[in-house]
This record gives sequence, structure tokens and C-alpha cells, in this order.
Amino acid sequence: MTLIATRPDSGEPRPYTFPDLQRVTVGGGTVIGAHLPGQALATAMLLLDAGAARETAGREGTATVLAKSLEEGTQKRDSAAYAIALESLGAELSPALDWDNFRVGVSAPVPQLLDAVRLAAEAVRTPRLDPADVTRVRDDEVTALRMDWAQPGPRADAALRADLFGAGERFGRPMHGDPTSVAAVTVDDVAAFHQAWLRRPGVLLVAGDLSTLDLKALGEAAFAGTGGEPLAAEPPLTFTTRPERRILLVDRPGSVQSTLRLGHRSPERATPDYVSMTLAATVLGGAFTSRLNHLIREVKGYTYGIRGSYAMSRRFGRFEVAAGVQTAVTVPAIVDTLGEIARTQEDGVTEDELAVARSWRAGQLSVEMQTPGSIVGALSTLVVHGLPDDYYPSLRTQYLEATLADVSAASARHLHPHGLTLVVEGDAAVIRDELVAAQIGEVVDAEI
Amino acid sequence: MTGYPWPIETTRLDNGLRVVVSEDRTAPVVCVNLWYDVGSRHEPVGQTGFAHLFEHLMFEGSQHVAKTEHMRLVQGNGGSLNATTNPDRTNYFETMPAEHLELALWLEADRMGGLVPALTQETLDNQREVVKNERRQRYENVPYGDAWLRLLALLYPEGHPYHHATIGSMEDLNAAGLDTFKAFHQQYYAPNNAVLTVAGDASPETVFALAEKYFGLLEPVPSIPPAPHGHLPGPATSPVRETVTAAVPAPRIYLSHRTHPFGSAGYDAITVLAAVLGNGRGSRLYQRLADGARIAQPDYIGSYGVDLAHAPAPLIITATAKDGVPIETLEQGLSDVIGSLVTEPVTEEELSRAKALLTTAWWRQVSTVGGRADTLSRYATQFGDAGAAAYRLPQWLAVTADDVTDAAKYALKPESRVTLTYLPAEEPENGENA
Repeated sequence: MTLIATRPDSGEPRPYTFPDLQRVTVGGGTVIGAHLPGQALATAMLLLDAGAARETAGREGTATVLAKSLEEGTQKRDSAAYAIALESLGAELSPALDWDNFRVGVSAPVPQLLDAVRLAAEAVRTPRLDPADVTRVRDDEVTALRMDWAQPGPRADAALRADLFGAGERFGRPMHGDPTSVAAVTVDDVAAFHQAWLRRPGVLLVAGDLSTLDLKALGEAAFAGTGGEPLAAEPPLTFTTRPERRILLVDRPGSVQSTLRLGHRSPERATPDYVSMTLAATVLGGAFTSRLNHLIREVKGYTYGIRGSYAMSRRFGRFEVAAGVQTAVTVPAIVDTLGEIARTQEDGVTEDELAVARSWRAGQLSVEMQTPGSIVGALSTLVVHGLPDDYYPSLRTQYLEATLADVSAASARHLHPHGLTLVVEGDAAVIRDELVAAQIGEVVDAEI
Repeated sequence: MTGYPWPIETTRLDNGLRVVVSEDRTAPVVCVNLWYDVGSRHEPVGQTGFAHLFEHLMFEGSQHVAKTEHMRLVQGNGGSLNATTNPDRTNYFETMPAEHLELALWLEADRMGGLVPALTQETLDNQREVVKNERRQRYENVPYGDAWLRLLALLYPEGHPYHHATIGSMEDLNAAGLDTFKAFHQQYYAPNNAVLTVAGDASPETVFALAEKYFGLLEPVPSIPPAPHGHLPGPATSPVRETVTAAVPAPRIYLSHRTHPFGSAGYDAITVLAAVLGNGRGSRLYQRLADGARIAQPDYIGSYGVDLAHAPAPLIITATAKDGVPIETLEQGLSDVIGSLVTEPVTEEELSRAKALLTTAWWRQVSTVGGRADTLSRYATQFGDAGAAAYRLPQWLAVTADDVTDAAKYALKPESRVTLTYLPAEEPENGENA
């Protein structure tokens, strides 16, 4: 035979390392640098405690409009001059919003990073915010959201979020707002958000070859003209799990797939169960060989892919299963999915499955952390969640040492198959009757 | 200056398998990447989508690897993996903690040499459904999702290897029989039709020895049939237009031209041209149509080349109308900006901006061992020399303003243009209200 039948053993494991970190305090802010020797590119990210949660009710999308207005000119130069100055360094600004932070990232070849950070700071700290420009950006954002919402997914996401967190609560509204709330955003809202939250120093994260990057100069550039104390962290939200399931039907006439979003509330990122919950979710719906992907894709062929995970921010968390399934098999796919969630909740995971989850999560800490961008992302997790510099080596050990009892206990505690909200975005005329007949839960038409 | 400052060592096994190694001990990770020189351009009429469906079958077990084991062994040892198919080729890759290099090579060898005995009707039927759902998810169920499928058919004449899209048609996928796939594997999945690249925490000596151990005894396949010829006499000589009325949220235009094959000097000029024209807020399209005339939505305007190597590759230029802007106005605006590449020579400032963005994009592509391995496999497969990867960035940087003008004159004539327009169906469905 020409093939070698025996699977080889693994070689000698190389020691795990996370890049060396350096801290510099300058100009009222902190710079955290991660040393990546030999990388041609470097990434910097300004992390500001100005997440979506700080927006005014009914004006969700304010921070997104601000993010998109930053490049419409600064006090020094107009938008065209700004774009050409920044892009001539090979850099582009990527402002991004999440529930906890406003992030402004910029990547460039190492010798250009300082100039790129100076320009990023110019936009973040001293944007022109001309009322006519902000109004136009706001209108463009309404259009862009309408474009986005025409795709399958965003409306289902919004329906799930509203049901889990309450349509009247900020966390129950889409992170970037919806077309109506963005249309209500005023120039004053945008200016006020900038004044209140983007003029504080924040934290500058840098990943790159620190042998030639000057962290102090980078910090001085990022924090120039800023002021204000760090903000106190607000406590996590309390929650209860609902006692029954419900189905929210979002109509998408003619849809050839049904977009599924199944979810319930779960603890915030600081939960002591973080590692065991992550591993449980990996077994259920994280790895390719997860229970859900195996059954729904590899055995049944209902979908191109299905994933289940916990998303955890500073103040809340949620469990979610997401998939697009062929319209004709919507109900069988839901029934099978519920079966796997229930089985995992009741019986826990097996040692074989857990072995895959442990090694995968541990290995990903090196395999998926090769670039300046990914390292900056890792640093932001440390800052946002108050984790120590040696967190990643320690997390790796925690993954590898997690016990079957702990992970099964976490799935028992943090999965609630009977309290799920099931959002189904699809062709209601085709799937409604079958959904009702399946008696999975009350079927309600989502107002969205 | 070089675009590839890491070492490259190559060898060729007796069975024709080319092996490329690029050692880098910075991180304890290693990528194993294989390019098979077979893509959808090899598919005969009635078998569209077969190369890609076959790619799925490669994850479903082989002679010594049980069904589901491939994924379990890679992820269960900490790795990331995937595969892609395009008109030119099919690639497979996994990045692993370095101690699992040998495992990855064993897995790849087993499915190169031993797929057929493990291939079952049940697996084919299952993956056919998965691929049909992939088609629904990526092309049919999203607004404008079928633009690429339509553009290919408009750009390349019937019978041309790029005329049909890699995802294939539902009819052909439904007709796919097991024997066809067994024959497909025996024909194309041969050591002499592949390049194996390993980048990262491994030495060339180790990799060459392991390649010999796991792949060395696989039989080469004599006389692998080439794909149908992709030769075209030049840019199209008459314009083509298609208008689609569908459930889309706003009018959108795609303009496209056949240019030069990827890897040629002409295509380097097109790459720089695409960046001048439509990459970033400082580009001509953004400055003139999104920022200046304000007729295009700022988030949906740009231009890019699709890097195909076996025939003149497409340049695609796209814009979406702002509310209330007639589609004719947008099309005229696009046409004017494209025309300006000839009538208003590209300035040094525009050129250096474009090159700076391309430089960052290049270094980002090679910032991971996975990106490096895929790049080396590409150059070894398509140009016979992995080391040629080092020249791409310097060649972009050597493009002059005149080169860009010449490229525009040659490739972007109105008479060679494909115009694909999407218009919203009369009644907007939903999604307008929160």
C-alpha cells in the first residue's frame, strides 16, 4: 500500500507564549504594547469607555453616526485632505462600536504607525462635526441600515434582542440602532456624545515590533488634549429565565431559507463559569464536529452551517444558536436543534467531546493570535474585563484542565431549552401552519 | 526590496509533488497548505459545481480516516482549517500548533491518495444538500447575491472556462453521480498536480523528510487533461447589458471589464488602477461620487480586480444609488470617473496613496503562516516558482501613472463594458420599519 495506515503521534509541544507586554503612562492615559518582533505591520487601537450603552433612549445609533462622522474632516483639514493624508500612510481608520466600548483601530507599516495614530487622534479628538456633514452622514446611515436590514439576519437579531432584554431597554435595542432611531439622531446628540465620551484619554493598545515603536510618543499623540477620570463600571444586569418557549415569526416572503436565532439570557463575562460555559458551548455548537453541526449539517443536510455560543459583555450575556436552513425543513431543523440543546443540558458532555473542545480552545490561543490585529483584540479583552497580563497563559491552562464534571454542570446550569425564544425569519405563508402544529411554543408574529 | 523576507526552500518528490517550506520560528504554529491545480474551469458542460462539491467530500473521511475524523483531529489538536474552490484551483489548509505538523501531513496524504475507497453515496447525498444550502445562503437569499454569477456569464463567452460560476447550478448538482466524483479524484488529485507548502515553526529538512514519508509512494497520474483553453483575443468588442428587477433595497450597478491575467505586468497596472479608482475614501470614485456629487452611497462604492490567472481577469466597479438618485445619473457618473482615468492622468499623490494601501494589504496577507503558505502555493502552482511571490509587491510599486493610463485605455473602453443593473421590485417588501 502506498499510504501510511498509522496516525502519527504528536511531536514535542512547544511552550506557549503570549507576547511580552509593556505599559507606559503618559498624558493622562495608559499605553499597553505587545512585542511582535519581525512583523512588518503594526496595529494601534484607542479604546474608549463609550459603548452603545451610553446612548440616549430613542436615539440608538448616535455613536455609530459619530463614528462615521469622524472622517468628515477635522479642525485642521477637510475630509478629502484627511483621507489622502491617512491613506498615503497605507492606513485606514476603523472605528467600531460594541456594548462596552468605542474602539478606533488603525494599522500601518511599522515606520508609519506614529503618523497614523496622530491622524487617528486628530479625527477622534478634534473632528469638525459640521452640522451639514453630520446630517448627511446620519441620512446615509439610515439608508445603510435599510440596506443591511434587507438581508436575512438583522431583523431576526433585533427581534430576539427585544424579546430577551425588553424593547424599551437599551440592551433590548440593536447595538447600531434601527432605521427609525437613527433617523431621530440629531446633530446635537452626536456632538454631545463626542463631548462627553471621546475627549477622555482612554487606553491605547499597540501590537507590533516594539524595538522600533515609541510607546511614549504614541501615547502622547493619542492622549493630547484629553481630560477626565476613568468612569466607574456599572454592575451586571440581573435576569431570570422565562418558564416557557415562544416563537417569533419574522416574515420574509419568498425566502428560500429560514434564518433561525434561538436564544436566552446568560451570565456576564465575569462569571466564574466562563471557561466551562465556553467549553460546553463548543461541544454543543462551537466546533465543526459539535453536536449541532454534526446533526443538522453533516447528517441531515439541512444547512450550510449552524453555530451555538455564549456572547458575554461586561453587563450581560446571552446564549444563541444561529443558522440558515432550507425553508422546507424549518420545523424538523428546529426540533432537532432543540433536542440537542436539551440533551446537552440534561446529560452534559462526554469525555471525548470535551477533549476536542479543550484542545481546540487552547490551540486557538496561539493559532489565531499571530497578527497585530488579533493581539490588539486580545489586549482589549484584558482591559475591558480587568484581566491580568498573564491571563492568556492562565486561560490556556484552565481550558486544558477543565473537568467533565465542571463542564457538564455548566451546561446543566446555563442552558435553558424550555425557556428559549425562537426567532424564525422566513416565508411565513409557507412555514406558519407547520410551526403552529409542531407545538414547540406559542407562535407570535414579530412586529419588526 | 522584497515582498517576501522569509526563507523559501523547495524540492520535488519523484512522483512530481512540489514541496515548499518557509521556516519562521516566531510563533509555535505551522500551516500546511495544498493547492490542487483543478478548479471550476475544468468542469465540462453539465457538471458545474463539481469541483467545489468535491472539495466538501475531501472532509468526509478517507482510507484511514473515518468519517468526521478529519475535522475532529484538526480541531481536537488545536488547529484551524478550511478549503476553498475558485475557477482556477482548489486549496486546503490547516494551521496547527507546531507539534501536530506530522498529523496534518498524514491527513492530507491520506485524502490525496485514499479518498475513493471512503466515498459513499450517503456522503455525496449529504454534502450535495449542504452545498445546495450554501448556494441558497450565499447567492440566492441575499440581495444582489447572484451578481457574480451573472457577471461571469456576461464577461466570458459560452464554452469559456470562466463562463460559469464555481458554485454551479442546482440542476447539475442534483445530477452529480458517485462515479463521476471517483473519476474526478483519480484524474486530478494526484501528487504531480499539487503543491504542498509548509510555513512556520518547522525546518525544511523535517518537512522534506515527512513529505517523502507520507506522500512519496503515491502514484503520479500520467497525462492529466488541461482545462479548456482560456484564450481570448482581447477585451470584448461590443458592450453587454443586463437589468435585474428583484427584491433589492436600492438600485445598484456593477460595471465590469476583462483585463489581463493575474501575474502579468498588465494586471499589476490594473491592480494599481483599481486602488486609485475605488479603494478607500481618497479614491476617485469615493471623492467624486460619494463625497463630491453625493449620488452614491458611501458604504457601497468601490472597485477591485478578481485575481484569476488563466484568462484575462475581471475588474469590477460597483456603486449603489443614494435615495432619489436616478440609476441613469449614477451610471453616467461611474462612466465619467472611469473615463477620467484616460483624460485626467493619475497624479503622483493618487499613485502613492494607492501603492501605500496595496503595501499594507500585501503585508497583511503575509502576516500569518497561513497567508504565507497560501501565497507560496499560488506562485508555485501558477508560475512554477514559489519565490516569485517576492516580486509582486515591488512590481506593484514600479507601476507608473502612464502604465495606469495605458491599462485604462486598453481594458476600460465603453465598448468592452459589461453593465449589470439591479432595480428594486415595485413593492418594497418589508424591513423598512423597526
